[in-house]
Amino acid sequence: MVNQHRDLGSAHSGFSDWYWQRFSAVVLATLLPAAFVLLWAVYSGVLDQQSLLDYLDSFVSRLLHSLLIVALMVHAYMGLKVMIEDYVHAAMRIFLIALMLVMMGLFGMWWLALIWAWGG
Amino acid sequence: MNAMIHIDIYRYNPEKDSQPYMQRFDVPWEKTGMKLLDALNYIKWHSDGSLTYRRSCGEGVCGSDGMNINGVNGLACITSIEGLKQPIKVRPLPSMEVIRDLVVDTTHFFDQYRQIKPWLQSKTPTPEHERLQTPDERAELDGSYECILCGCCTTSCPSWWWNGDRFMGPAVLLQADRWMKDSRDEAMGERLDQLEDAFKLYRCHQILNCMEACPKGLNPTAAIGHIKRTLLNRKS
Repeated sequence: MVNQHRDLGSAHSGFSDWYWQRFSAVVLATLLPAAFVLLWAVYSGVLDQQSLLDYLDSFVSRLLHSLLIVALMVHAYMGLKVMIEDYVHAAMRIFLIALMLVMMGLFGMWWLALIWAWGG
Repeated sequence: MNAMIHIDIYRYNPEKDSQPYMQRFDVPWEKTGMKLLDALNYIKWHSDGSLTYRRSCGEGVCGSDGMNINGVNGLACITSIEGLKQPIKVRPLPSMEVIRDLVVDTTHFFDQYRQIKPWLQSKTPTPEHERLQTPDERAELDGSYECILCGCCTTSCPSWWWNGDRFMGPAVLLQADRWMKDSRDEAMGERLDQLEDAFKLYRCHQILNCMEACPKGLNPTAAIGHIKRTLLNRKS
């Protein structure tokens, strides 16, 4: 590293990345267990398919489900972005982050569409 | 006590060698409590005068003889031979350009240090006498002021290996935190502004190599966490 360092100053973006990664983690930690409880309830026979659908159909469930998906996408995007920034350099970095954003955006929108289109 | 100490040392002279190699030296035990620096000095003075390394105070204060000892960064002058598995593998600090043998180019490291403006910045008029601190305010600096800038932590940090061109590294961030904690310093806002960056500060992923490596027993990861919390407090 003999190259003279050129200080470009601060990008003032690090905090929000860090904040949203942790904020989404808190949302996930709150909502994800609910999904697993439902899963457990189905497999253990506590809930049959119709009661599961009744749960998922309610407005509050759809709202929480949407929050969960949004938090999951934000968290995955932030986490993978950090990893790409760690390991990938130069132009490939921006390309990969953009590609990931597009794929996760599409996936998230598709899932949200499923949640709200379900059963009418 | 008559046994020999076996040391494998990284040798590289860019003017002569096409690539680096490890060279074995045998050094007699001279005294109990012998440090690695004593063995290096023995080699330099009795076996091979061309062996090149930095050293100055010889007691863990100047930070000159940071090197990679059996895979862990540390100061040769305060590392006891007794605790080291033999043959002792001695290499230069990782991820730095080697000038010769164990001497590395620290230009970039100290350039990053200068970027955080490691001096007291104040806007209020200079008082007639010195700027005073209470004992509690002074105690805030414990755990930061002891840093001797040997580079053992920064060169053990994988984030610095990968993105050292922009990530400040643990030593420099510990120093940045030291000035933010100083009750006499009045540039907290500017210091935070300068560090709020995904690369300069937030490349730290709490790997904790820095804490393991620090020969002074400091915890740069905690200092970085303190900077992050201060930024959080500023925004929330």
